[in-house]
Amino acid sequence: MCAERQSISISGSGHLGGGEYVRVSISGSGRVDGDLVAEELRISGSGKVAGRTEAGQITISGSGRFGGAVRAEEMRVSGSAKVDGPVEAKELKSSGSFHADGDVAAEYFKNSGSFRVRGDVEADLFKASGGFDIEGLLSADKIEIQLGGRCAAREIGGETIRVERPGSLGSALLGGLAKMLTGGGMAELRATQIEADEVHLENTVSDVVRGKRVEIGPGCRIGTVEYTETLKVHEDAKVERPQKV
Amino acid sequence: MDEERLISKKDVLEKMGISYGQLYRWKRKGLIPEAWFVRRSTFTGQETFFPQDKILERIARIKAMKDEHPLDDLAELITTRVNAQLSVALAKLKRIGWLDDELLRSCCTDGLPDEAVSVWQAFVLGVLSRVRRSARDEEIGLVQRTLEQEKRKGLLDRVSEDGVQLYLLRKRIASGGISAEVSVVALSDEGAIFDPDVEVIEVVDLATIVQRINLDLARGEEGHERESMEGEEE
Repeated sequence: MCAERQSISISGSGHLGGGEYVRVSISGSGRVDGDLVAEELRISGSGKVAGRTEAGQITISGSGRFGGAVRAEEMRVSGSAKVDGPVEAKELKSSGSFHADGDVAAEYFKNSGSFRVRGDVEADLFKASGGFDIEGLLSADKIEIQLGGRCAAREIGGETIRVERPGSLGSALLGGLAKMLTGGGMAELRATQIEADEVHLENTVSDVVRGKRVEIGPGCRIGTVEYTETLKVHEDAKVERPQKV
Repeated sequence: MDEERLISKKDVLEKMGISYGQLYRWKRKGLIPEAWFVRRSTFTGQETFFPQDKILERIARIKAMKDEHPLDDLAELITTRVNAQLSVALAKLKRIGWLDDELLRSCCTDGLPDEAVSVWQAFVLGVLSRVRRSARDEEIGLVQRTLEQEKRKGLLDRVSEDGVQLYLLRKRIASGGISAEVSVVALSDEGAIFDPDVEVIEVVDLATIVQRINLDLARGEEGHERESMEGEEE
């Protein structure tokens, strides 16, 4: 059946039933009661979808809450988004605050704000310049982290991993912002295990680091480093057990 | 059953000549099941181990196929190949009455592989064989479409975890001298309640179907090992 799909805009306060729409725009306070399928979802006020959300594009500049899984081609968060389930997107960009209770999978995941994920984060390319807390595994072909606050992941794995501490003016400013968002704290990365072919770390604390070519930069405290080709350790870093395997 | 032999991640990488990047990528693409990653504490810290035979065989297969197929298609291909090893299952399905020509014709329009069925196909066949004794043709189609629609959302996993019932319902609506009958298929937890005018035609406990398949596969394992070895020689 192919009922005519419509566009809906809530600019005061209102709610609508779940269903298929072309565009849903919430600029006041709005609620979608069931599952939502839309080409575009825009929340600039405060919006909540009670069920699952499937959309081409999701833009949140206000506050968005999702009661179920979210699937989107593109999701942009500059306000705050909280998802009580997994998130799947081609492109996921957040400069605000982002929270997911399930796994997050994206081809490109870029975050300059703060985010927290209860499950795993999977991406082809992962870039973060704020602070984050990933309770599971962070896995991507390429991982680039500009430390802008407290960063933590249980495990990190991929092809190349590059972690840099704030140095330039730009990242210092971002760092300050992220500090405000994450409630202060050192700009450092904590993990139990980091594995990649190319590893470059700064300000990182981890039990184990494994890789082919490993560079342990300033401010790192690492238990064991297992490497197969090269290992460089900065003088301001501590590696307890370097092992060539 | 004796414990499976385990192999450490770094031994896997060395033995198969692959990189961390590849291993993590294949895991993300679903080519290596999460359940195979066994985390153990060692004196140097956390380490990941794998069931040796399974992981080596799987990686060899991925390496052999990855140049001809995009990575995203590989997961499906590999699972079908793995499931194709369960070729015994097809004969068994016939024997336990889940399969006959009529059912095959009505549900496998894109053709069933000669002797192999995937777990999913076996599952669908099992459900259809249960409903067919009371269902009409179009209702069989409806059941099948419902299952296929939920396949992507991990119906099989949900079935084994939570227990899901499939209901086939009919309701007659009469008004102003016109009457019509509507067929409805619903998936729900046990004990769904319907209005008094609804006639429940069939209830299928999907978990039972899955269990029967798993039992079947377990029994068929020996036979298929031999077959898959022969297949390797080509």
